[in-house]
Amino acid sequence: MASVFTRNKEGGGHAIRRNPYATVALLVLTFLVWIFLVFPVVWILIGSVRTSETLFSTTSFDFTLDHYKTIFRAGFGRFIANSLFVCLIAVVISTVISVMASYVFSRKRFRGKRWLFGSVILGQMFPWIILVTPLFVLFAKIGFLNSYIGLIASYVAISIPFSVYLLVGYLESVPRELDEAATMDGCTQFQTLWTIVFPVMLPGVVATATYSFLLMWTEFLFALAFLTRTNLKTMPLGLVQFFGEQNVDWGAVMAASAVTTLPALMIFLPLQSKLAGGLTAGAVKG
Amino acid sequence: MNVEAHDRRFIVLMLAPIFLFLVFFYGYPTALNLYYSLTDLSLLGMKEGGTYVGLEHYADLLTSKDFYRTLWNTLFWLTGVSVVIRLVLGLGLALLLNSATLKRYRLTTISRLLLLVPWATPPIVAVVVWRWLLDGRQGMINKFLMNIGVIDEPVAFLANVNTVWPALITIIVWNTLPLVTLTFLAGLQSVPDELHEAAEMDGAGPIHRFFHVTLPHLMPSIVIMGLLLVFWTFNNFIYVWLATGAGPGLFTNVLATDIYIKGFVDFHLGYSSAVGMVMAGIMAIFGVIYFRLVALREFKDVL
Amino acid sequence: MTFKFTAAATAIALFASGAVWADSNIIFRFNDPESEAMRAALDEFEVENPDISVELQSFAWSEARQQFLREAAVGEGPDVVHIAFVWPRDLGTAGALYPLNEFWEEAPLQAGYDDFIASNLAIGADGGIYGVPWTTDTWAMLYRTDIMEDAGITAPAKNWDELRDISRTIHEETGKIGFGFPAGSGVQSTIWFLANYYWWSNGSALVKADGDGFDVGITEAQIAEAMEYFDSYMKEGHNPQSMLGVTDWYDPAIIEGMTNGDQGVAIVPPQQAREIIAAYEKRHPGEEAPFISAMVPAGSEASSTHLGGRMLGINSNSDEPEAAWKLIEFLTRPEIIAKYYGNQFPAQQTPLAQIDFGATMSGFAEQLAVARTWGAYSDGPAQIGSMWNETGRMFGSAFIGERSYDEAAEELLNTVKDMLDK
Repeated sequence: MASVFTRNKEGGGHAIRRNPYATVALLVLTFLVWIFLVFPVVWILIGSVRTSETLFSTTSFDFTLDHYKTIFRAGFGRFIANSLFVCLIAVVISTVISVMASYVFSRKRFRGKRWLFGSVILGQMFPWIILVTPLFVLFAKIGFLNSYIGLIASYVAISIPFSVYLLVGYLESVPRELDEAATMDGCTQFQTLWTIVFPVMLPGVVATATYSFLLMWTEFLFALAFLTRTNLKTMPLGLVQFFGEQNVDWGAVMAASAVTTLPALMIFLPLQSKLAGGLTAGAVKG
Repeated sequence: MNVEAHDRRFIVLMLAPIFLFLVFFYGYPTALNLYYSLTDLSLLGMKEGGTYVGLEHYADLLTSKDFYRTLWNTLFWLTGVSVVIRLVLGLGLALLLNSATLKRYRLTTISRLLLLVPWATPPIVAVVVWRWLLDGRQGMINKFLMNIGVIDEPVAFLANVNTVWPALITIIVWNTLPLVTLTFLAGLQSVPDELHEAAEMDGAGPIHRFFHVTLPHLMPSIVIMGLLLVFWTFNNFIYVWLATGAGPGLFTNVLATDIYIKGFVDFHLGYSSAVGMVMAGIMAIFGVIYFRLVALREFKDVL
Repeated sequence: MTFKFTAAATAIALFASGAVWADSNIIFRFNDPESEAMRAALDEFEVENPDISVELQSFAWSEARQQFLREAAVGEGPDVVHIAFVWPRDLGTAGALYPLNEFWEEAPLQAGYDDFIASNLAIGADGGIYGVPWTTDTWAMLYRTDIMEDAGITAPAKNWDELRDISRTIHEETGKIGFGFPAGSGVQSTIWFLANYYWWSNGSALVKADGDGFDVGITEAQIAEAMEYFDSYMKEGHNPQSMLGVTDWYDPAIIEGMTNGDQGVAIVPPQQAREIIAAYEKRHPGEEAPFISAMVPAGSEASSTHLGGRMLGINSNSDEPEAAWKLIEFLTRPEIIAKYYGNQFPAQQTPLAQIDFGATMSGFAEQLAVARTWGAYSDGPAQIGSMWNETGRMFGSAFIGERSYDEAAEELLNTVKDMLDK
């Protein structure tokens, strides 16, 4: 604490404070960065409350909430609920499986570990687009088309590699002595993982789960191929539905875009400080 | 039951689910893709299946001029340039947010919150909104640049061969820079103050301190972040496809969009699978290099 | 145990009860945005046919064909599908659609098979009839009369050279965009239509019937000439370079340009023409909208455009083809189209002849009278979709100077030849 105080007083700020031009330049730069960051989203928000006739006009602006009414009448509320359902279940399954695997990878020695861990890690680099047709054929055989089972399983599959990668990195910051002490106290390995280690690694798990959620929340190709029934569709499908062939309902697209962005933002706000650090936590420490 | 057998059972039990997922969702489809790539399977003839054509698609691919351009686009523009730019800008922005000036004016927290906005924006939405902003006729950016007199005539950023890649990269940077910045910011905040103080005592200026204290400390984060960005970007389909549809012409075609065009637009599943296998192959080579050079060190206690 | 079993059985019975009243459940996949109105139409159908219940699905047009092909190959998919005029042949050959010949014989629709427009497009290579033409339209030119006046132009273009003169004059006199057309090369590019209209009106065609087989009906020089002609609009600047980034005819750049008067001329299907006029009227209440429609220019021969439209088909996997046919019968009734799907024209000669297009839209009526079907394009072995995409890419490539006109023309010609040889 003392050191931070000292540095702020005489250290980092020192050189800059003496130069008012640098301060102004930095503030201007910050302001420009802000504009760059938020302008596109602000533009969506404004566009979503303009009438279709004045949407692209530079001279007139008519306020309306019609676009929001349109999208919810078209079932957008349902699509959001579907997306939440699919993504939450998939996130839970993916995280549990990844926690189990990463614990074993981190704590156990066994033959073939390099290969197995290596192939999990390589899964991150896999071009998922080539999975669409083979999975479609497979799902058709076992009746997983137009069923959330297939979609959820696919989402678990695409999020596992990165989750394991993050969690193994995170587990490196959890002292092994903790496990050993638990074993001494007579815990089974299973108990050790879920009652002793899991609570300690919870921040890492939350960060991992959030990344998985984001990946699934915006996934489009699998959902498009596997879900065709209107009442099953997820949000990204709902969004592209407003892009007709003969015309695009831009107002609805904007309103839907705003609604799509909001849930992710709400998840981010409370978690933001935990998320960024988690990504390379293992790396920085190691 | 002895300890070792017990241990083995635990390991198998804990790894069984992930193993099943790997087999069913990566192993099986890859094998099927490999098979498709050796046939002339078409989406129009899926009922009958394709006939075996051997390595014909691979031969076609490797002798096609367009393929090498696609490869170049993927490796240089989509991946190389965009990753380097994000690393550099991310580092710069992290330094800015971490600067004493911003802290003094209490602007760090709000800046961090604003960073969440692009990050939370789904890529589909990001592309849609940037397409409007960059539009050659009604786009805000053109109107702005013309108003301040930088350009006389509107520029079709996403249609002009000189601007299309920079424009695409702008979209990608906008959407993904926050993650990079916040990661580096977390890294910067973990630099022990003692290091800076010690360097300062020795009379080191800010630039010297950046290169000798901050950067070495951040280096592992930069390497990992760079690699993650490469994996995520190389395979990305959505930005290029939605922003330019691989055009103008096939000017911005990348491997992922090529798979889509060949397979789902032109219906040549066989050929498209061959492109997919080449793509997976490139990533596998990259993956092995990554594994040997980085992962073995990153996870040295694990492996 | 018994209790659990009973509860499960009750649950299943309850779950199924929705279907108890209807003997047949069919799914209709409809790809246009008017799904609300279409649902209302289906409700009317269900009242008329209490033994059939219809589930409405919607799907993006751009992905609709590949999705249906995948589904049909594995025994899935909706019962009734909404398809483009040029799809049934390919889909029928792929075994994805149910042949309708017997239905046509036993329960012919409306005024009969011959009254339907472009029904030849529905006939597969094996003689099976794979689709029922549902709606139709063609493209025509839309002019801003006020801009024409400002530029001193008195009449719409009769031929392609006049069109370019008008476009240039508008730009020179008013500084506005003349004929603003999408020159982008994305999937389903607009330039495909323009190129074909140009070729057809000059007596050539990308594909022609040649005895029993098919051949290209065009030379490299003729392709290159079309590329050069359309490129000249960008080169001369009256169609801005930015249109290279626009692929769709419904792009807001065009709709807005025509509405706010930044642009003088456009080529559009009737739906967009109406959209533009409606937007203008909304912004200028009480004023008469300054638009006229006119025929697409002629070349060395008469003006010619394609007869576009949508068909309805039945999935070859459908368990309920009879119910599906009943639905098609209902949906093709001219009065149902007029009531629920008013933006579209029925693809049947008798009702089409009775439609009053009004003065502004009269160009579309004239054009419709001379519009042709894709004919040899769809009869031949090359898929229209593939030729469409390749044409878009090669024109795009030539427009950005990546290939010379001759190179691009040669490559397009060879690709199409390869497709026809297969």
